[in-house]
Amino acid sequence: MPNIDRREFLKLVGAGGVSVGAGFMLREANKDPREYLIPHVLAPEDFSSGLDTFYNSVCSMCPAGCGISVRTREGRAKKIEGNPAHPVSQGRLCTLGQAGLQALYNPDRLTAPMRRTGEGESASFEEITWEQGLKQVGDRLDLLRAARRGNRVAFLTQGVRGHLAQLFESFMRQLGSPRLLHYDFDHPHTLYAANQQFFGESRLPYYDLANTRLLLSFGADYLNNWISPVHHSLGFGESRQGRADVRGRFVQIEPRMSISGAAADEWIPAKPGTEGILALGLAHHIVAEGNYSGADLGAWTNALADYTPDAVAEQTGVPVNTITRLADSFVDTTPSLAIGGGAAGNHSNGVDTLVAVNALNYLVGNIGQEGGLVLNPEPAGPAVQQHRASYSAMVELAEAARQGEIDILIISGTNPVFTLPPAAEFAEALAQIPLVVSLSSFLDETTALADVILPSHTYLESWGDDFPEPGVGFSVGAVSQPVVSPLYNTRGTGDIILDLARRMGSSSVMPWQNMEEFLKYGWRRIYQRGDSQTLAQGFDAFWTSVLKAGAWGETTNGSTAFTLNPDVIAGIGVAPPEFSGSEEDYPFILHPYLSPNFHDGRGANLPWMQELPDPMTSVVYGSWVEVNPVTAEEMGLSEGDLVDIQSPHGQLRVPVFVYPAIMPNVIAIPIGQGHGEYGRYAKGRGVNPIEILSPLLEPITGNLASSATRVNLTPTGGRVKLVKTGGVSRDLGRDIVQHTSLGVEVSSAADNSIPITEVTT
Amino acid sequence: MSLFSRFMDGWRKYRKPGYYDEFDYHWTMTIDLDKCTGCEACVTACQAENNIPVVGEDEMAKGREMQWIRIERYWEGEYPNAKLSFIPMMCQHCDAAPCETVCPVGATYHNQDGLNAQIYNRCIGTRACAVYCPYEVRYFNYYDHEWDSPLEQQLNPDVTVRGKGVMEKCTFCIQRIRQAKDVAKDDDRRRVQDGEMQPACVQTCPTKALVFGDRKDHESQVYKSMNDPRNYRVLDELNTDSSVFYLKKVDA
Repeated sequence: MPNIDRREFLKLVGAGGVSVGAGFMLREANKDPREYLIPHVLAPEDFSSGLDTFYNSVCSMCPAGCGISVRTREGRAKKIEGNPAHPVSQGRLCTLGQAGLQALYNPDRLTAPMRRTGEGESASFEEITWEQGLKQVGDRLDLLRAARRGNRVAFLTQGVRGHLAQLFESFMRQLGSPRLLHYDFDHPHTLYAANQQFFGESRLPYYDLANTRLLLSFGADYLNNWISPVHHSLGFGESRQGRADVRGRFVQIEPRMSISGAAADEWIPAKPGTEGILALGLAHHIVAEGNYSGADLGAWTNALADYTPDAVAEQTGVPVNTITRLADSFVDTTPSLAIGGGAAGNHSNGVDTLVAVNALNYLVGNIGQEGGLVLNPEPAGPAVQQHRASYSAMVELAEAARQGEIDILIISGTNPVFTLPPAAEFAEALAQIPLVVSLSSFLDETTALADVILPSHTYLESWGDDFPEPGVGFSVGAVSQPVVSPLYNTRGTGDIILDLARRMGSSSVMPWQNMEEFLKYGWRRIYQRGDSQTLAQGFDAFWTSVLKAGAWGETTNGSTAFTLNPDVIAGIGVAPPEFSGSEEDYPFILHPYLSPNFHDGRGANLPWMQELPDPMTSVVYGSWVEVNPVTAEEMGLSEGDLVDIQSPHGQLRVPVFVYPAIMPNVIAIPIGQGHGEYGRYAKGRGVNPIEILSPLLEPITGNLASSATRVNLTPTGGRVKLVKTGGVSRDLGRDIVQHTSLGVEVSSAADNSIPITEVTT
Repeated sequence: MSLFSRFMDGWRKYRKPGYYDEFDYHWTMTIDLDKCTGCEACVTACQAENNIPVVGEDEMAKGREMQWIRIERYWEGEYPNAKLSFIPMMCQHCDAAPCETVCPVGATYHNQDGLNAQIYNRCIGTRACAVYCPYEVRYFNYYDHEWDSPLEQQLNPDVTVRGKGVMEKCTFCIQRIRQAKDVAKDDDRRRVQDGEMQPACVQTCPTKALVFGDRKDHESQVYKSMNDPRNYRVLDELNTDSSVFYLKKVDA
């Protein structure tokens, strides 16, 4: 018998106890769980629900940057709510934000790094380790950097803000490459350019919908996809019925009724691309009626001389009395607000159009006013240069690739093969790049063409932060924290970039081990902006409080003083829009719009979004083309008839939906479906209208004039049944949606309890 | 006492005017159609909260969707004066619910809080309730629906996953109501306070068109809202005495 002293004996007994315990637990864990059915109708007295843990984070399903609060139970994310403490979302969330859970738990996620093997038809992906993948990419980056050829590396990402943007920037600076591009299909380039021209700053102002009394929207679908839909919806509800004494009025000007158009009190179809001309028509009437009395009145009178209501009515198709009525009420109703964007900004005259909308706000004094347009302070996030890539920047990148100037392309979070028209020949350009690296979480169209895939976490598993653009009139920031542990062998985008930086010897400049560490480093700067009380508590307490609250804010307002550069006035003017293709050959104008369910196509792999009826048509699981009822009748078309839609640059076959609120010479197709890859739910469904867009540009920004493609429409004789949930779309006297007319406005001073409306039925 | 007479006894009790006054809560929802934009955030929020399956394109084509709340759309007028109105439609939790009288097994009944409740493991799938419901808000499980792995990890542990042959519908998020009541009880509070709990649809509504609460609390937001002069109830002429009040859309 071995000689065991007391100490050894106790050790052995202890270890034995642990292993017996572990064995027992393993056995228990491997058992099939017993399933209980617990009806909640009348739960037993002693039944206590499990405990939820809520983590505050930031939504990344669209660029709005809403604060979210994710309910988790036993380490799994169960539900995403809006974070009530976050000023952008205020506890509310849109449908796509709700569906973020299905991005996390998507069955078609990439689960491990992969490498392409074989060429052409026989190409496939084989799984590799992170070390293999990172080494393959890191070594080549290091070689290029050492040879001072780092500018042969391009980095293409989605629009990111905050410290991830800064990380990307320093990474590319280490390589000495200027080719860092943020590309999103729906980025409002023309709006930024118009604000640069008019306000002298390339930022978005805060649109104070909540306090406005009259909103004129020139093409901006602000309740659905434009910039910050949840925040706009909050403002809309508040403006409509949130105030005791007044109900805001909403007017929407667009060729095809959007969700915002349906919510508006008045929907005005203006010829596509003439929204800016209409805005100047209103401006002309305001000045001509003597409703503007600024020192620069003479300059305005000269600049607007050509935009008489008669001339504008002729060009826009909007009657003269509508123009004068809108202009008068825009002056009489204060505060009022004009916004412009969406399709109106995606024409060849996009920047001029949005400058014209800004001018309208200027003339009635809405700038810097509550209920008008409030200029935002400098965002609190790290100072990052502008890397937003317009269509022409993407074409340049593709051209550089074809010229053999690019050795490595890293792609993160964006899917240009899907969201660029084929005229950009981006997929062909990818084939010319020796090493294409994708950091996507899904096998989308672009990732399918990559050589190496280093899959990222979804936003619910990774660290990040966001400083929403536009702010809400004051500085806001939020940290995005992991709410569940990673499901698969994936890594955070920031962590991957930091690892690659280490491999190319940049660890002295970028010494952080991971994104969390880098974030904490960066947020120290924001912590130092705090008051003495915050500083006294130390950084760790500050960091914890930011994570806990899910939002950080500073209530210093932006500057309200604004003086207009006189040169702007002289430059005011909107040229008639240009379209590709002749009117004879292509009688219709194609109006592609962002689908509420899929945004720019990124939501198409979420089964909830596929099964969510389109709000306007109730169609699910497919694409359709919207045609005016009179046009449809003339062409003998009815719902479900398959038509060929041909533009100078391509052709699509899609079923007809007869849409009551679209101009007769306009047809509309939602963007989002028509994926060739992107998982089982998205692949092979519907059509992608981007495929037939002509590469017509807005000259100042190089933005794609995506609403300026002409098409023709040919019935094929084929028919399909459109899958939709809605039945008869007319009320037929059932009085289901009841209406009331607006009664006399009651002053809030007299009696707060009397609502503004008078019931007439 | 026979089963039948006991049932009738209970029935008369529930139908007694003022019956609900004896109890603590009477849950009610109001929907302001002047604020509703038809964005359908409520639909997805409900689907996430209540473990509502995705049925697929073929089933959708047969009209077998499962979403408990839907947005109905009604067009008026013709171009260029076409107007579109949305109305969210879900179980109206009628106090005189036609669906309750028809169920042969008492799977659907009215609880003390004014909720029209469905007992899944009592339901035998006659679908009679769906026929009787004038609002068409009851949804039948034609199949055992499946979640492609790992989507099932999202399922809400507080809500039963319904199997084949079972009728289901909006519960006003009864699991959240029960939880709020538990918390209120543990806190030695007598009642759930206004705004303490909200169903998933109300919670997410970006325009705050939906308001939920206890109409017995006369200080509650929902009580004020349901007494707005714009209030009406859909198909009120059927005397279903529903618990969902709509506020008329304003034409201006």
